[in-house]
This record gives sequence, structure tokens and C-alpha cells, in this order.
Amino acid sequence: MDLIKILLITILVNNIILMRFIALCSYIGMTNDVGQSIGMGFAVTFVTVMATAATWPLYHFVLAPLHLEFLQILVFILVIASLVQLVEFYLKKNIPGLYAAMGIYLPLITTNCAILAVTFENISNNYTFIQSIVYAVGVSLGYLLAMILLAGVRSRMRTSPVPKFLQGTPILFIATSLIGMAFMGFSGLIK
Amino acid sequence: MKGNMKLGLVLAMFAAVGCASLAVVYSITESAIAAQSQKALNASLQEIFPDAVSFEDITATLSSNVQGVKFEQAFLVKSAQASLGVAVKATGSSYGGPAKLLVGVALNRSIAGVRVLELNDTAGLGMNAKNAAYYVKKAEKITFPGQFGGKFLTDPFEVKKDVVAITASTITSRSLTVIIKAAADAAATWLETSTTTAATPAEQAASASGAAGTTGGK
Amino acid sequence: MKSLWKVFKQGIIFENPLLMLMIGLCSALAVTSNVSNGIGMGLAMTFVLLFSEIFISLFRKLIPNSVRMPIFLIIIGAFTTIVDLVMKAYFPELSKSMGVFIPLIVVNCIIMGRVEAFAYKQKVLPAIFDSFGMGLGYTWVLIGIAAFRELLGNGTFAGMQVMPATYQPILFFILPPGGFLVFGLFIAFNIWLKGRMQKSAAAKENA
Repeated sequence: MDLIKILLITILVNNIILMRFIALCSYIGMTNDVGQSIGMGFAVTFVTVMATAATWPLYHFVLAPLHLEFLQILVFILVIASLVQLVEFYLKKNIPGLYAAMGIYLPLITTNCAILAVTFENISNNYTFIQSIVYAVGVSLGYLLAMILLAGVRSRMRTSPVPKFLQGTPILFIATSLIGMAFMGFSGLIK
Repeated sequence: MKGNMKLGLVLAMFAAVGCASLAVVYSITESAIAAQSQKALNASLQEIFPDAVSFEDITATLSSNVQGVKFEQAFLVKSAQASLGVAVKATGSSYGGPAKLLVGVALNRSIAGVRVLELNDTAGLGMNAKNAAYYVKKAEKITFPGQFGGKFLTDPFEVKKDVVAITASTITSRSLTVIIKAAADAAATWLETSTTTAATPAEQAASASGAAGTTGGK
Repeated sequence: MKSLWKVFKQGIIFENPLLMLMIGLCSALAVTSNVSNGIGMGLAMTFVLLFSEIFISLFRKLIPNSVRMPIFLIIIGAFTTIVDLVMKAYFPELSKSMGVFIPLIVVNCIIMGRVEAFAYKQKVLPAIFDSFGMGLGYTWVLIGIAAFRELLGNGTFAGMQVMPATYQPILFFILPPGGFLVFGLFIAFNIWLKGRMQKSAAAKENA
């Protein structure tokens, strides 16, 4: 099944953080504890799917027919920024509980590389609308998985004897390298 | 509300200036961008059909019925005397992003050649499909796209059985094979149904007997 | 003039955007599997950073505070699109090999961060020096990592064969996990370098 294949590839085989280096800023900054990672992961999932739902029709029914493809970068990033702003307003007003939990991550999401990358790739991969949504969900779940893994590793490392010259961010990247190597084993998953 | 109106106006002005400047830059670079892809296409077309002299655009009459594979352009390739075959520029998705291939089909329904125009897979693994120095059959020095030359469309196309895959890049190999088969099938169908290149009875008999045909490929 | 030079120097080691401030990482690691891509991305990013900082600093009085983010995005997005179009027209191979990472320059945290923290509040000349310093700091790290990865992982430097023909390339370095490893070691090196420089500066003061 084509859609299952997209999910498997995006979550495991070609993980957006571990194999494609995208969304690293939030990966380093937002994995201080597992709860923070989960919050960020879900916020990213929500915004990515909504951004896909907004940008895919915008490209295929407005930009392409009018030969305005060169405005893709501007239009997509402004749509994402506006979406995030709207979501923030709506949550603040109507679901304060959720806003308290998720609200702080929202401004950071506008510059999250993963979201813009997904919206661009939906177009360049010639995906249908359904495929785009599935791709968006898959990439976000892969993001969530990598975040949770690193958060777990980080909490362990706080009590481990890390060599002095590797303390801080260097050891995080080495840990990521090891996690990535493990993930490369998934490449045999897709027949 | 007046404050918000002013903000909105400032925003709109910046947006308008931004879009206008982009439109200017686009109009300057548009022709250069088109020229670049045309250059690459012509070079590859000439490689697949060395005797080719003209390329008639038949894009409108060719469409893909394979999900995920789109045909950007299609050409009827002609030498000075006769038609040589059909070339299709097809796009589809591969492991790390979209892939663009040029597939040429000769009159005898065999593949004249395959060229990888664009590929975004892992360097050292899937990207070797585009690497002219990477051979899937080391003894004969055959590259991944090169192995399709001369292959008849009635032959099986299963990766790892009939098609040699790139080491540790089965997904890329499969994705590209799907695109190649879709393009080649569509080209062959076009050749069969088009009146200007309808196969002579001798050619039809040859292609019907498939792999055992006496017409040689490249 | 001295303060301008100081602004320029900050971005290269002490406040190196990639190694110390940990921003702009997205595009950095992905394009460092070979040196040509590294140089290309460094130049592209510096171009967008330079012109974004110049224009935002020029217009800083005209940009209302409450809508500054969307306006920043418009300006940065416009220059990113210009880079994208120019590369497609005159450097098509480089453009294709960098793929989606050129459009991603618009969400590069370095540009957003510097524009917000510096260009929006400073005059044009300091903004220019800041962007050159940050751009150079970004580019030297990219080239350093790329040189390492390409030499060890492919035996070449910017496409030219450097290692002897008998050298068996270690594919690991071209693959993503290798990139992370090399980057981690680079950060460790820069931290050590910064410590050394601070120690010798303190020693000079005490002497």
C-alpha cells in the first residue's frame, strides 16, 4: 500500500532529523526533557498538517495556473507564519488549557525547517492531496520519535561521566550519530 | 481600528514591493533557466539517439497511467531519413526526493537508452545511479541506467532478478525502474498507435516474439 | 572603526553561529557532504543575510514593531527567492544538488536571529559588518566540515581527486551519522580554541 510505504519511509527509513538533518535547531534546543519533546512534537504535527492542507491547494489551484511559481517561497512562509499566529490566537481565547501546555512552542515553529521542507516536498514529489497529508503526518511522527529518543538519552547523560572536552553540545551530536547509525538498519524495511 | 488598518497597509506595501521585485528578477532569469534545462535535455537526447537530427514535440499525446509518474515532455526522434523512436522525460519520486529521467525507446520496442537527469538520493548510495563511474556490472563496465539499453519491453523488469540493483540502494533502484518502465511502456504504446511510425509486418513479428527477436538492440 | 572590527570578529569564533550559538544548523550539515555545496551554501546564506540586514536596518524606522515578523519574512523571503532564481539560471547543477535547502534559507535561524537582534536596532554600517562576520563564521565551518567529510569519505576535494588511488573511501563520513560525528568534534575543537584564546588574553592582561 502506497500510503503505508510513505509512512514507513518518513518515520524510520529516511527520518527527517537523523537522516536528513532538518529541524536541528529545535532538536538541540527542545529536548531538555521528554515532556518538552512530546509537546514540541505534537505542535509540529498539528501545524505541519494544517500547513499542508493550506499550501497544497494554494500551489496547485492558484500559483501554478497563474505561472506564479516563483512566489512559492514568499507565499508558503507567510501562510505558515499566519497559520501559527491564528492557531495561537484561537487557542489563547478558546482552549486556554491547551494554550498553556502548547503555546510556548508555537512562535518557535514558524522557523522550523521541517514544516517548510514538507510543504515544498509535497509539490516537488508530485504528491496527491491525500499523499501530502500522509507525508506530513509521517514526517512529523518521525520528528517526534527522534526528539523523544534524544531527550531520553540526554537525561541519562546528565549522570554519566562525559569527557571534559565533549561536554555540552559535542556529546549530543555524537549521541545523535549513534542513534542515526541504528536507524540506518531500517533501510531494509521497504521491499 | 485605524491603527490596525495602518499596520495592514504597511504590510501590504512591503508585500507588494517584494512581489514586484521578484517578478522583475524572474523575468530576467526566466529565459536563462529554461535554456539551462534545454541544454541538459538536448545533450542527453543526442547521447541516446546519436543519429538524431530533429525532435518533434509529442507531449500532448502521451500520458502516464502509473501513479506518481508524470511525463514532462515527450519527443518523436527523427534522423534525416526516418523516425528513430520516442524519448520521454519522466519524473517520479525516489528515496530522497523527485527523480527525473530521460527514457528513449527505439522502433523495435526496445529501450534505446536511459539517462538520469535529476536525482536527490543519498550520496555514495542511491546517487550512484547518476554516477558515470559507478558500475553495477563491473566486468562489462555497465552503469545502472546503462543496463537498460537494448532491453525489450516484453522482458521482465524485476529488480534484483532481471535488473541489477545498486548496492545497498534497493529503494532507489526500484523507484527508478518503475519510472523507466512507465515511460518506456507509454512510449511503446504511442509508437504502436501512431500512424506515422506503425511497425511494418516484419517488425511486428519480430517484436511479438520478444526476446528471441533477431533485431538487435544497443 | 575599532568597534566595527569587533562586531565583525565576534561572528567568526567567539559567537560563531553554528558552533557556539547553535543556530542555522538545518542547512549546515546537509550541504557539507562535499566542498562545492559547502561553499555554495555559505555564499548563498551570506548574500541573503547581508541584504536582509541592510534593508531591514535601512527601513527600521518604517517597520512597525507589532508586524515586524511578517515584514522580516517578506524581505528575507524575497532575497532567498532571488538567490534561488539566480542559481537555477546560472548554476543549475549546484542548485539541483542543494535541492530544498536553498528555499530553507528563509527559515534559517541565523538570518532571523541577527535581523531581530541586530539589524532592527542598529545603523546600516554595523549591520553590514555583522552580516559579513556571521557569514564568514558560517562559511568557514561549512568548508571545514565539508573538507573533512569529502576527503575521508570520497577521497576528493571539491571534486578533484586528492587522496591516492589506492585509498578506500570511508563511506561513513558522507552518510548522515558521519556528518553528526564530524560536527560534534568540530564543536569540541571550537570550544577548546575559545578557551585557549580567552586564557592567553587573560594572561596578557596579567603580565
